[in-house]
Amino acid sequence: MSDAGKPAPAPEPAHDRGRELREVNERLRELVASLRSEKDRLGEPRPAAPTAPPPAARAGEGADVDRKRLEAELALAHEAVAHAQVERDRLRARTSELEAENQRLSDDYVALQERSTALTQLYVALERLHGAASRAEALAAIQEIVINLVGSEELAVFERRNGVLALVHAFGVAPRVLDAATAGEGAIARAAATGSAYVAGRGAPAGPGEEDLTAAIPLRAWDGVQGVLAIFRLLGHKPGLDEGDHAVFELLSAHAGVALRLREPRAGFTP
Amino acid sequence: MDRKKILLVDDSSTVLLMERMILSKSEYDVVTAKDGQEGVEKALAERPDLILMDVVMPRMDGYEACRRIRAQEDTKGIPVIMVTTRGELQSVETGYASGCTDYVTKPINGLELLAKVKSCLGQ
Repeated sequence: MSDAGKPAPAPEPAHDRGRELREVNERLRELVASLRSEKDRLGEPRPAAPTAPPPAARAGEGADVDRKRLEAELALAHEAVAHAQVERDRLRARTSELEAENQRLSDDYVALQERSTALTQLYVALERLHGAASRAEALAAIQEIVINLVGSEELAVFERRNGVLALVHAFGVAPRVLDAATAGEGAIARAAATGSAYVAGRGAPAGPGEEDLTAAIPLRAWDGVQGVLAIFRLLGHKPGLDEGDHAVFELLSAHAGVALRLREPRAGFTP
Repeated sequence: MDRKKILLVDDSSTVLLMERMILSKSEYDVVTAKDGQEGVEKALAERPDLILMDVVMPRMDGYEACRRIRAQEDTKGIPVIMVTTRGELQSVETGYASGCTDYVTKPINGLELLAKVKSCLGQ
């Protein structure tokens, strides 16, 4: 009987269905084997009887009837086996479909969680930058964002002062590493001059002394580039930058400079 | 199902906000402490179902806070997950030696954090 048009059976654990099918197959194999054995036994030539007395003739007729019955049962068993094999194949195909669907849903869930984490990071970064009550708090927020959201404990913040880059905050970086930037050389100075971010492995190489530089992010304010955030080595267990990190970089570029600028202790400052 | 209470111990407002937002999606009640000392006190006062503990903090670091939580009868059974920027083996071993149940590394991955929290809570 065809199963077309029937509603799909309720999903069962794949291992239960497999075990059930194996048991059905095993029982059918035993039945077929016993039927074949019986058929062979009945089909064996019997010792010739000198005479065929009426009782023996009746016994022969009875054996014929038994054989026909067993042959019919064997045919039915073959049909049942064939049906079971079709059902088994259908269930295997359905199991594969469900496993593929399960994998797809699982992948979707992971992707959604990753997206959710990335959005949460952006929200937290914005909240911290613009929630800062002072310039010192804004710098501390930038540092915390780099350490805890990007994953680096080596960073420096430069600001433009009278046309040159001045170091205003550093964490975990040796001062000599920053000399090139304040001298107007290297990738950090280039990020300030061009307004384009430097990311290791992309575009122009870093300058001398900047071998550990991972990113130099221009910090923008209303009238251009306010400064640069330099991020050096990532934490040891972090394999590299991902999309979420680049989103945080963009956010820092757009908002960190503004957050610092708004908190400058300049009398009468208006953006 | 009872809402589980989680104590977040970290001196970084950024981390506290990040953890709070990740956990709030799963409907946990959250209390916070800003250093290890306060964490030990809050653990006693609040009796949370789980503690997420930073390592490097002022006044008392996460290892010492974890040892003190383990040393007190009322809090010794609370699972503690260390949240650390130090992913290297030695730091992890130090964490386990102090009595922590598990650890996650910063930057926090929401999926990993939720999975470990649920595992520690038997969910």
